[in-house]
Amino acid sequence: MADPAQPLLRVDSLTVDYATGRGAVRALDDVSLAIPRGQALGLVGESGSGKSTVVLALLGLLGAARVTATALDFDGHDLLRDPASVRGRRIGVVFQDPASVLNPSLPVGLQIAEPLLVHRRLRHADAFARATALLAETGIADAARVMRAYPHQLSGGMKQRAVIATALAAEPDLLLLDEPTTALDVTVEAQILDLLESIRARRGLTMLLVSHNLGVVDRICDRTTVLYAGRTVEAAPTPALLHAPRHPYTKGLLGALPVPGSRARLVPMAGNLPDLTQRDPGCTFRPRCPLAEEACALPQALTATAGHLVRCHRADETHDLRWPVPEASDDAAPPPPPRHGPPPPRHGPRRRTIHAFLSRANERPGSSASAEDDEGSTPTDTPLIAATNLRRTFRSGGPLARVLGREHVVHAVDDVSIAIARGEILGLVGESGSGKSTLGRLLLRLLGADAGGVRFDGIDVPAVPPRAFRRRAQIVFQNPDTTLNPRQTVEAILRRPLHHFAITPDPEREIDRLLDLVRLPRGYRGRYPHQLSGGEKQRVSIARALASAPDFVVADEAVSALDVSVQAAVLNLFADLRARLGVAYLFISHDIGVIAHIADRIAVMYRGALVEQGATPDVLHPPYHPYTEALLSAVPIVGARDRHASRVRLTGDATTTPGPGCRFAPRCPRRLGPLCDTVPPPWQRPAEGHAIACHIPLAELASARPVLAS
Amino acid sequence: MSATLAAHHRPPRLLALGAIVVAGFILVAIVGAFVTPYDPTHFAVRLRFDPPSFAHPFGTDEFGRDVFSRALAGARYSLAMGFGATAISLVLGVPLGLLAAFHRGAVDAAIMRGVDLLISLPPILLGLLILAVTPPSLWKTILAVGIIYVPILTRLTRAVALGLLEEDFVQAARARGEGAVSILSREILPNAWPPIIVESGLRVTFAILLGSSLSFLGLGPQPPSSEWGLMIAESRGFIDEAPWIGLAPGLCLCALLIAVNLFGEGLREALDPRLRGRDG
Amino acid sequence: MLLFVARRLLAAVGVVWAMSVLIFAIVHILPGNVAYAILGEYATPTAVAALEDKLGLNAPLWLQYWHWLSGVLHGDFGLSLSMDRPAGPVIMDALGRSAILAGIAFVLVAALGIGLGVYAATHKGQASDRALAFAQFLFIAVPDFFTGLLAILLFAAWLHWLPATGYVPIAEAGLREWLAHLVLPVAVLTLGLTAHVSRLTRSSMLEVLESRYILAARAKGLPERLVLRRHALPNALPPTITILAIDAGILIGGIVVVETVFAYPGLGRLLVFAIEHRDLPMLQAGILIVTAIYAVANLVADIAYALLNPRIRYATGVA
Repeated sequence: MADPAQPLLRVDSLTVDYATGRGAVRALDDVSLAIPRGQALGLVGESGSGKSTVVLALLGLLGAARVTATALDFDGHDLLRDPASVRGRRIGVVFQDPASVLNPSLPVGLQIAEPLLVHRRLRHADAFARATALLAETGIADAARVMRAYPHQLSGGMKQRAVIATALAAEPDLLLLDEPTTALDVTVEAQILDLLESIRARRGLTMLLVSHNLGVVDRICDRTTVLYAGRTVEAAPTPALLHAPRHPYTKGLLGALPVPGSRARLVPMAGNLPDLTQRDPGCTFRPRCPLAEEACALPQALTATAGHLVRCHRADETHDLRWPVPEASDDAAPPPPPRHGPPPPRHGPRRRTIHAFLSRANERPGSSASAEDDEGSTPTDTPLIAATNLRRTFRSGGPLARVLGREHVVHAVDDVSIAIARGEILGLVGESGSGKSTLGRLLLRLLGADAGGVRFDGIDVPAVPPRAFRRRAQIVFQNPDTTLNPRQTVEAILRRPLHHFAITPDPEREIDRLLDLVRLPRGYRGRYPHQLSGGEKQRVSIARALASAPDFVVADEAVSALDVSVQAAVLNLFADLRARLGVAYLFISHDIGVIAHIADRIAVMYRGALVEQGATPDVLHPPYHPYTEALLSAVPIVGARDRHASRVRLTGDATTTPGPGCRFAPRCPRRLGPLCDTVPPPWQRPAEGHAIACHIPLAELASARPVLAS
Repeated sequence: MSATLAAHHRPPRLLALGAIVVAGFILVAIVGAFVTPYDPTHFAVRLRFDPPSFAHPFGTDEFGRDVFSRALAGARYSLAMGFGATAISLVLGVPLGLLAAFHRGAVDAAIMRGVDLLISLPPILLGLLILAVTPPSLWKTILAVGIIYVPILTRLTRAVALGLLEEDFVQAARARGEGAVSILSREILPNAWPPIIVESGLRVTFAILLGSSLSFLGLGPQPPSSEWGLMIAESRGFIDEAPWIGLAPGLCLCALLIAVNLFGEGLREALDPRLRGRDG
Repeated sequence: MLLFVARRLLAAVGVVWAMSVLIFAIVHILPGNVAYAILGEYATPTAVAALEDKLGLNAPLWLQYWHWLSGVLHGDFGLSLSMDRPAGPVIMDALGRSAILAGIAFVLVAALGIGLGVYAATHKGQASDRALAFAQFLFIAVPDFFTGLLAILLFAAWLHWLPATGYVPIAEAGLREWLAHLVLPVAVLTLGLTAHVSRLTRSSMLEVLESRYILAARAKGLPERLVLRRHALPNALPPTITILAIDAGILIGGIVVVETVFAYPGLGRLLVFAIEHRDLPMLQAGILIVTAIYAVANLVADIAYALLNPRIRYATGVA
């Protein structure tokens, strides 16, 4: 064994080139890392930064790429020459997306035991006993049963625990974690991060954690290295890096990050990743950097400054340089107000009306008559869109399964009443499978409801909505790659709604206006979707939704697929458009940070039902529903390391089957007793417009320790 | 990523080569019918079983007919079967597939059960059944082969359309309240045709194969026509003394099939999104 | 799993029944009177009447269908017109000989096709892979009846190594002769199908090899042969089974052609004979039997697929 004072892993000048049809791509350029024994290093970057390539290069699994380095040293072992003999034996790996990492046709137990059988040469029975113990160590209660299960029978969190157990099986010294929590729900992510922390402490493991999420890195890592377009731009102890970033890119990443509890305007980064086929000896971030100057075109060296390694010749000054103030919302000439529909109301939605409406709707769950109560009020008092007692069930299995009672029924939306005022942003948050998207589609009548009604501007929306409703209620989707018809130009995409709704006699000018509105160059008219970046596609998608001058837009995870720097710009765009055009949004997201940033009011959904809704500050602070509390405390927030004391952790995941009472009871850390399991919880109202569906007395809920600083 | 990019930027050589040879055959089929050196049905009893010579490059058959002229004249049968049958499959199969995708429920179930029924017999057997009871002829063979391959195009179209209907841009069109015709013509078809064209390209090969096989079994054009499968069937009795009677049409058939197959593969290479990278 | 098998069984029975209706309808409703179709256009009315009486063609169609179907269910496949004896035994006899041909060919196709496909996938881009790709391309495009003709020319007419056509029972002529008559038809059937199966196996194997669980298996440090055998193959096989089921269909079609080329007295040859002699009862019965066999083959493939796929085998979750 080599000198224990030496770092366990030392990477010097790692460079990786791929051949592509467009020329050679330099995925990694002169990247150096060192991880001392027992420490955890974070490797942070957005998509295209090359961070996952580092992991594959260390394992020698890059295939056809050309890998060079002056040193790739693991405890005295040359990984460049012979990665195979330590791979899986002394270096364990956890890849992202456990669903695709586990072999679907092998039992989980065998997959965990495999390294023991191959590397430790254990007998079959011993290997399986050891694997069961490992599974138990990763926090799986009935490990023996899970050993025999196939991957598809396990939830995402359990799969990732199994993957971690596999990585630990041969008792490696180094654990490589490639986006280990990215595909998981936030409450499960918190569990997995806890697990990784405890494993590290218990086993004295050395870790390399690759993530796009600064909060995750902050939770786990001692030091952090930031990659941009294949180059190291900054490396420092994690707290120093996150609290006093030196490189403009690091500053930009932090400025673009929505933080729950802060409504400050985000600072997006302009532009896109550089084209990696074009070699640029200078700083590759300079086209996007507000602090760029001429000298940035010269090669930049990684130099030590105040405990940071920074690849920027201005590193010494950046500390004092003010990161630009947020782009002003009226940077362009203010566009003319929409020509159709009612004039946008000024700020301040009619919260009182909404609250009155909601109280009535919620007081009588199960009664669909509540909407009728509004008949006496004038149209201006009514919410823009209001749904009462919506239900939607999905069934799977054919007629034979139905006869045999094997039918699978999912109550995606179960008795939900919701209302949104003109110009208001209602944030809808919940884990995957909570029914958020279904609710959004029910509101737009893209899906038929099994029960319940939708009123728009005081008028019942029939199952087949009239053209006027379609014009006034629009949607923006999550995935930028599928949201645009790949065979139409931007111009054709925007022209269609203008033509369909006969919006304007002059579509040419209107298309220009729409492009201005979403801050895309007018020259983009002729482009096809594959010629746009993810953020640009999402802007076109927003422009398409706004073309008909709608009053209401459902934004279904509209920023979830975007990198932080791009997400910030799109979030700002949504906020500006609301301010300018008075559009109301149902803003659906699994990310409570995003929701807290943008929404006026928040509705929290769990397994098809709302558990809490209210004004954003009310929902983010006690009293809140135990589920909201858990969601908030699960989010890895940058700079909140010492939050540990107030951490609320959920067991299981959102598939845990509830009884007839509160559907959250099986996972609730504050469950009172049988009451919660058997009796549906009442709506409690701590403040006007704030409602919590919970049995726990308000006073007790109010005494919960706040997760966010106020 | 690198491999797919490379495939995208490779010039479609297969497509070009296949297209040229197929075009040659089409030319032969059109022109050849008029300028064959001899009348393909002319009997010349004194010239029976003449081996290949300068006057008769592929020799003569049992009636003294010029095999070269007959092979030339045979091209149009195979081409008609290949392209005609594929056209029929397309015309019937694609609308049925779209109909099934758009009207889930009873219409879908009825169409797909019909498809299940048609594929419950292997193609040649289905051909036997369809062609057995009425006197065979070229157009009946074409029709039969076309019907036999309808299920494949129906299933493909349905699957592609169902996939596209789930796409967000189609959902966006629905959110605008666009009608079925508009969604079909603007959103679905422009994105659905590449896989359909690719499949049709491959179908032409199989249609020629199936058509000539049925002809070989006596269920295609009848004597004295010079369909290649029929010529090969008729040659079997003279395989020892005059192998060229069967070899000539067989080699022609193989050349055509290989060319059409090249063309189909080339189409796939050029249009299959899985073989194509993204740029930009 | 039981539910799955029950559903598939029900579907198979339904398809065979629907096919019986279709077969009956095509034979009896299509333009042209059955009796005329059998006797020819110039048949005398008395002859037609006599035949119609013999075939029971005067009864209403549904009754005729019922008689036929109930007969079939009792093992009575009607009377062969051309041979003037029960069609059932004749068909079964021919079926037995076809089964020998099909069985040997299918086993060869499965073994060679999967073997070559896996080989090509693991040697992607190398000379052997490209040579195989070229051979596949060629043999998929060449029709069976022409390969058959070439084989007869080469091995029988010119080299005199093997008999050109026919069939001899093993009991009469011995194993050697019996095999000699099988070699060419089996080879012709096998070539084209092996090309097809190996090509599709290659692409399904390649797809599996690119998956993330293979990357994960390699990252575990497993030896490559274990990665292939334990992690790749079990996932590449289910699609291959679907391919084999399709090829079973092509094989049945190929048998009709190959038996005709080699004058092999099997079911395929019998069906062609029935068409040539307008023996409609024989044709009806033969095609129905083929439908049933094909349905069973597909059912077996579905069940095998399910057995290899834990998602179907264990349809319910543990947690």
